[in-house]
Amino acid sequence: MASKDSKAAMPADTEKLTRQQLRELETKEKSKGQRILDRFIIALPFLCGLAAICEYCFIPNKSPNDNPYTYLGALIVLVLAYLCYGIFAAMKLRAGDKTVIEKYRYKAPLYAALFLLLAAYDYLTLKTGVLTQPFVPCMNYILNIAWIDRAYLLECTLHTLRLLFLGYFIGVAVGLVTGITCGYSEKARYWVNPIIKFLGPIPTATWIPIIMVVATSLFGGAVFIIALGSWFAVTVASMTGIQNVDKSFFEAAKTLGASERQLVFRVAIPHAMPSILQGCTQAMSSACTAIMVAEMMGVKAGLGWYMAWAKSWASYDKMFAALFMICIIFTVVTKVLDKIKRHVLRWQNGVVK
Amino acid sequence: MEAKKNVVLTLENVSKSFAKVETDEVTHALNCVDLTMHSGEFISLVGPSGCGKSTILRLIAGLITPTTGKVCVDGKEITEPSPERGMVFQKPTLFPWLTVRDNIGFSLKMQGKLKGNEDKVEHMIDVIGLQEFREDYPGQLSGGMAQRVALVRSLINEPDILLLDEPLGALDAFTRMNMQDEILKIWQKRGQLAIMVTHDVDEAIYMGTRVIVMDANPGRVVSDITIPEPFPRDRSSDSFVRYRNEILNKLHYGGKGQNA
Repeated sequence: MASKDSKAAMPADTEKLTRQQLRELETKEKSKGQRILDRFIIALPFLCGLAAICEYCFIPNKSPNDNPYTYLGALIVLVLAYLCYGIFAAMKLRAGDKTVIEKYRYKAPLYAALFLLLAAYDYLTLKTGVLTQPFVPCMNYILNIAWIDRAYLLECTLHTLRLLFLGYFIGVAVGLVTGITCGYSEKARYWVNPIIKFLGPIPTATWIPIIMVVATSLFGGAVFIIALGSWFAVTVASMTGIQNVDKSFFEAAKTLGASERQLVFRVAIPHAMPSILQGCTQAMSSACTAIMVAEMMGVKAGLGWYMAWAKSWASYDKMFAALFMICIIFTVVTKVLDKIKRHVLRWQNGVVK
Repeated sequence: MEAKKNVVLTLENVSKSFAKVETDEVTHALNCVDLTMHSGEFISLVGPSGCGKSTILRLIAGLITPTTGKVCVDGKEITEPSPERGMVFQKPTLFPWLTVRDNIGFSLKMQGKLKGNEDKVEHMIDVIGLQEFREDYPGQLSGGMAQRVALVRSLINEPDILLLDEPLGALDAFTRMNMQDEILKIWQKRGQLAIMVTHDVDEAIYMGTRVIVMDANPGRVVSDITIPEPFPRDRSSDSFVRYRNEILNKLHYGGKGQNA
């Protein structure tokens, strides 16, 4: 057999190679200069963190700064976290696992840039006032207000999350059903396609004024809007996904004894999975947009509302605190979706890349 | 090895026409084909493209139905695909989201027979020597490996009829010759009815106990040659060359001096 022949041609000691060893074998040995550079780059975020701390402590403030230790504490925590991560990577390296330190080295310039950015922002706001206080508040103000108002901020965050996920999951669930049905059955497509063509191009935000008049509860209305946007994205993506399934897969499955039902669930849906998940990601970004618009325009709770409300009271620090919260939520949600996608589509590894 | 079931496959006056997509015209892929095949035969269908050899295979598989005439197994008309008639396509068509093992077990799973038959799957993996690739996805296999997996994926049902639609067409010459012997070995073990489409005359003679020569416009059988030579066959023997010339002549590709 061909596989055995090729194995025999390889030297005995390379027979049981791990992926890591293979990469080491194939990459060139690093020169001394490169190794010194690597060490420097790994140390760079730490140096930049120290620079940020010094910048904050030693340059005189231009505007008054209450509770100055919040931001300082945050900076120190970040630097320490980076150090701990480094120690962990070094321990792994000593144990023979190079992957952590390589990842650490890869990410180091980004962390360094983050510290520099924090220092630059602080310099432009608190130290020089190029960005006028309190319209663009410095990090210390934002952190302080986030801590003081934490209970309410948390409540708003939870409200946003609840609304987001409720709408998103309803939209995705209904979208999957319609999309898969329409992808598979011509009759369903006949009836649903006009609806998609007619309603699809309307941006979800357009519905808000109508919902505010028609809906009995604003929460329900907002769920509907978010669900509608997600439904649309998922329906279109899964429909095209199912329609594009290679006919030869169906033929092969049929000769292997698959029933009509199994053709849908065992062939069509797995084959359309990349497209379906693409639709889910798109649905999430559409849901995020819709929820912010909904909260800023009608719903009387949630982070969007918190921002609008803070602006009307000219508490710009609160506004920025909410903005950061929104950033964090959306980043985490997108990251989780991406992880799920990678896990489900692990068979694509090495095929698409 | 196992108790073998004798089946008779008959094509009675079978015609198949396809409507063209753009125009109103109709292509006659097959015109009045009559054939009878038995278990234990290895039938090579050979001919130029458009002669309807793949159409015959798809009719037998039950993927399409004849325009007129009947395709029957033991007198029963074929109406839909069945794992009793395993088919291997030119492209391996392995399901890319399943590992090698799950691909091979796909058919058993579809019929709800996987539980308790896992050793069958393992046996098939052993037969093609891909133990180390058991948990790999098809995207990581070479063309030859993928086609082997596709082969045993249909064989796991122990089909009475094995349909091979140019299964080796996309492989390089050496892998191809290896696979020819592998397929012959598997067929000899079970003695089922194997029908293989090919456009390689040498392959048809090397493997077939019977070579059916077809021609196009309209698709029809022009010759049905029995090859009683023992296996393994010698590609350069006199009789082999004689068969090759005979078939090429039937297809009007023979040299002038070689006319039999």
